Amino acid sequence: MTTKPHHDRTHHAKKATGIGDPQCFKGEAGPAKFKIGDAVRIKNLPDIFYTRCQTYTRGARGVVVAVVYESPAAEDEAWDNTDKSEWFYSVKFPQKELWPDYPDAYPNDTVETEFSERWLEKA
Amino acid sequence: MPDKEDKQMSEKHDHGEHKAAPMVEEVSDFEILEMAVRELAIEKGLFSAEDHRRWTEYVHSLGPLPAARLVAKAWLDPEYKKLAVADGVKASLAVGVDWIKSPPTGFGTPSDYCNLRVLEDTPKLKHVVVCTLCSCYPRPILGQSPEWYRTPNYRRRLVRWPRQVLAEFGLQLSPDIEIRVADSNQKTRYMVLPVRPAGTEGWSEDKLAEIVTRDCLIGVAVPKPGVTSNAKRPIHPAVHPVHHHH
Repeated sequence: MTTKPHHDRTHHAKKATGIGDPQCFKGEAGPAKFKIGDAVRIKNLPDIFYTRCQTYTRGARGVVVAVVYESPAAEDEAWDNTDKSEWFYSVKFPQKELWPDYPDAYPNDTVETEFSERWLEKA
Repeated sequence: MPDKEDKQMSEKHDHGEHKAAPMVEEVSDFEILEMAVRELAIEKGLFSAEDHRRWTEYVHSLGPLPAARLVAKAWLDPEYKKLAVADGVKASLAVGVDWIKSPPTGFGTPSDYCNLRVLEDTPKLKHVVVCTLCSCYPRPILGQSPEWYRTPNYRRRLVRWPRQVLAEFGLQLSPDIEIRVADSNQKTRYMVLPVRPAGTEGWSEDKLAEIVTRDCLIGVAVPKPGVTSNAKRPIHPAVHPVHHHH
């Protein structure tokens, strides 16, 4: 007789209660690969099923402005795969880098958003 | 025959003078989906109906006042401002918001994670917040997001044409000011710490907090002495309205 493997759907609540999310993943990702000030490029990885990496950032170059927290990547966590955490980074882009038709009259304008480490490469 | 009468009435209804009125009480597909998932989750024992009621009551108790208070405190106390910018979750405690323990879950909210970043404006830098993916919003400290914040229109356009969108909100900024759009696409939630406006010298924390409206905290407005509520959102008739020909 085989038994169906039991998946505990409350494992996240048990881990995060009283600590918070993403705080409950602190210390799981190892050393961070990038630091504040690093120039990075956003990879264009396949994203079948689920991603939180916006298409408008793919291939764009930006600068790391904050190393924010550790957490499983959204692409894994969406399927309850929480075994491996990654560092997350806040990256700032000049608007012109994201939208080539952004008006030249406003060269200082920027967008800042977050990525898990798998999406970044040195630029 | 009743059937024939019904048919005639229905034809008259479809082709007569009557124009269909908007169905304001309509339940959306998403609301039906939410109810179905909620009932299944309760049946499976993931949470109880009592948990759901407590959660709903918690969510409806939230509003933007703690965030306004945080800004007013930061304007008055440089040390507190440093803390707010460095650790928004910790700074929230001083205004009565515990991101981790206040929600009935005890670990934050399922969609609004416990990582608040307070984005500090300067005279040369203006932040404005959006979630291009959905409608992530720092609800524990700002309450429910306004309707427009969740619209595809705002979400698609702010990140690409921020100056035009801000102008529609009545905020026109000089070209030399950096507009920085913060897209909350992961686990950080953002609120804006605007520049304290001139004309507020000597004001108390209470008085300062009054001019920090929800729109100022999202970044689509800036605080002004005498302005204590969000600007009315004008509703423009569609340029090319949809006509229904039945």
